[in-house]
Amino acid sequence: MTIRTSPTLATLRGASAAVALGLAGLGTLAASPALAQEPATSPRAAEDALVMVARQDPGTLDYVKSILTALRLWIPANVVEPLVYFEADGTVSPGVAESWEISEDGTVYTFTIRDAQFSDGTPVTVEDVVYSLETMSESPVVANAAAFDSVTDITALDDRRVQVTLSQPSQNFWFGMGDVSGLIQPEAAAGDIATNPIGTGPYRLVEYVSNSHLTFEANPNYWGEAPAIEDVTVRIVTDGTAGLNALAAGEVDAIPVITIDLWEQLVNRDLDDQYELVTYPQVGEPTYAVINQALDPGLRQAIAMTLDRQQFNDAFGAAWGAENTCTFGLPNMPWYAPESAETCPYPFDFEAAMAAVAENGYGDVELEYVSLSDVPDLSLPADVMVPMMQAAGFDVTRNAIDLARYSQIIFQGRPPQFDVTIMSGPGGATQWACPDPEAAGWSTYCSAEYTEKLQAADAATSQEEYEARMDEASAILREDAVIVPLIAKLGVGLLHPDLEGFTEPRVGVAVELSRLSW
Amino acid sequence: MALYIFRRLAFFLGALVASSVAIFLLIRAAGGNVAAIVLGRDASPDAIDALATEYGLDRPLAVQYLDWIGGMLSGDLGRSFRTNESVTDLVTSRLEVSIPLALMGLTLGLLIAIPAGIFAARNAGRPSGAFVGLLSQVGIAVPVFWAGILLSLLFGVHLGWLPTGGWTPWSVDPVQALRSLVLPVLSLGTILGAVMTRYVRSAVLDVMNQDYVRTARASGMTASQALLQVGLRNAALPIVTVIGLQMAELIGGTVIIEMVFSLPGLARMILANVAAREVIVVQSTVMLIIVFVIFVNFLIDMAYALLDPRTRRGR
Repeated sequence: MTIRTSPTLATLRGASAAVALGLAGLGTLAASPALAQEPATSPRAAEDALVMVARQDPGTLDYVKSILTALRLWIPANVVEPLVYFEADGTVSPGVAESWEISEDGTVYTFTIRDAQFSDGTPVTVEDVVYSLETMSESPVVANAAAFDSVTDITALDDRRVQVTLSQPSQNFWFGMGDVSGLIQPEAAAGDIATNPIGTGPYRLVEYVSNSHLTFEANPNYWGEAPAIEDVTVRIVTDGTAGLNALAAGEVDAIPVITIDLWEQLVNRDLDDQYELVTYPQVGEPTYAVINQALDPGLRQAIAMTLDRQQFNDAFGAAWGAENTCTFGLPNMPWYAPESAETCPYPFDFEAAMAAVAENGYGDVELEYVSLSDVPDLSLPADVMVPMMQAAGFDVTRNAIDLARYSQIIFQGRPPQFDVTIMSGPGGATQWACPDPEAAGWSTYCSAEYTEKLQAADAATSQEEYEARMDEASAILREDAVIVPLIAKLGVGLLHPDLEGFTEPRVGVAVELSRLSW
Repeated sequence: MALYIFRRLAFFLGALVASSVAIFLLIRAAGGNVAAIVLGRDASPDAIDALATEYGLDRPLAVQYLDWIGGMLSGDLGRSFRTNESVTDLVTSRLEVSIPLALMGLTLGLLIAIPAGIFAARNAGRPSGAFVGLLSQVGIAVPVFWAGILLSLLFGVHLGWLPTGGWTPWSVDPVQALRSLVLPVLSLGTILGAVMTRYVRSAVLDVMNQDYVRTARASGMTASQALLQVGLRNAALPIVTVIGLQMAELIGGTVIIEMVFSLPGLARMILANVAAREVIVVQSTVMLIIVFVIFVNFLIDMAYALLDPRTRRGR
């Protein structure tokens, strides 16, 4: 007997096969490397222009009120300059201040202000400098205001000099003058800072359209050498794959900050071979577990022993982007050290963690792990850590929430409502200073001993003394097992191979556009 | 007809009031506040409270609601807390992307759906009709973000014919603006076409089996003549409904397309502002979309009344 297939069924099968082949072909297209060789010369090169990609929209450009990295990548150093610049070799270069004097006891700083103009054509005055510093000293952002903790007076001595008096020597103040705390803006334009910040930098902001782009052009009033690249556009591309597609298509020339959710994809697409892959610590962040200090110290230590740093690193899929560490900081900091027996008081030891849980009944303690659901850098570590803790015998449940809720119950909650969480961020070790247990911050960590070491470091009169005190503080932090460092993520970027001059940021995390050239 | 319009208007206003209360409460029920997001994790609770007060977020909810509604009624949609930009300006600048995207996507969808749906209905039970049905099913099954990424890879990265994403304002370069919309419109329109093809097919099949079409054919008309001259007006009713619903969804619901192609449209703006708890921006923008949706539905009701006199007589 012959079975005849109906025309309809035959057509359907044929069509299905055709569609399947078509989709498979497109799928192969997606998986295949975008280009087999180095990218063609950028069409922007001949026009002295540059297009970059940013993954996040800053929302506001008000650097006095906002600490968002998405803003600090572009505005400081490029549009608004600090008083001084701290170079990678440790030297200090002039910024808005053309020179400075520091009294012998380190408590009086006298800045001579450069005879220059802001990008809107108005002259830089000592009143603008005093206004800028006073505004920063009252900034609601702790990291901005902390540099002024020891400042007692800010005065204009004459029409070119500003004197800052401190109650004691302060390394934090001096470093702050080369960072966001030391940015100088014209008082008259301060009202528009959220959308149009003005400064003396090599570029002026032409336009900011949220969730779309920032455009910059060379500042005609810049006091220094004009930048080689005159026009820079930063396209805000929140979808990572779309950003890599734009790079592969030659529509953009660089993605200076690539978040970890794209590391594996850029390797799979061979983009790391075709473009210049740069890794640099400044834009990186320490990733660390935070274990509520109210928990029993032994329990905290047992949790710390479930942290397999290599497993976290492997999860990110690109070993060049992250280093395992037990010290809180980034590889460019003197007190930083890679993971080692000497620097890890509670190294990964699953058997010991299980034994501690069994012996001390830690499995009876209900623990809540709160993770940020909308930040890949932080939800990925949770995927690793929670199962490990459960396997070790902890009774832990995961509560995944978005940033706004996280801000409310973790950052602003008093006391914060979590037992364990993983966080990363640009803040330094001084963010854990806590002179009074009643004033413990979001991390719950409060140590008088640690805070005293930080204060001693701040009051140090030499760099050597500063580093020694910070090293001692770092050791205390590790032993307390509240802030438990896991890895130091590096800043990772992809640049067109013809683009030259990329250097590590001098002002916080800012990508310095004026140093780039074709 | 006047009573019918009055009833629809009353419903229109009632829906607006209910929606405004719902939006106002929902965005606040989500928790978090814009001051905490702006200042970051290290800001003290006092600093957060001070900024929230500066933003007016500490006022009683009823005062905030009435203030917002009063502003809306007088044409003031409010301002962004973070940038002090007017919501009117923010929305207007996004509409130059969202409206062409929605209209072009819908037009492409209709250009695909109407002939394909009629063809599929006319050839129901035949291989050609089944093939169109299969393509429609595939179109419905393909996630829009996946289609977008593949189109971007093919036409943007590999062939280099079109931009992979980004936006050039119409005022700067209209041709480039149009090029920026080609792939998003293709992604949106083909999938929309696939969805609507099924509605058109179903509506046409329905009328083709009606007595009046059979009568028309018995009077000597061909199948095509009967469909075009007698059947389509009736088939148009459910199709118009679907078009209205899709149009409303397109204005605020193209967030995935806007993200994949980095378009600064309305949907992406809303999403970003929800994440930042910019309550005024979200409330006012969503309210505008609701007004639009309800207005479109009002127009659909009016279209129904014109297309089918029984509707306005309340039958």
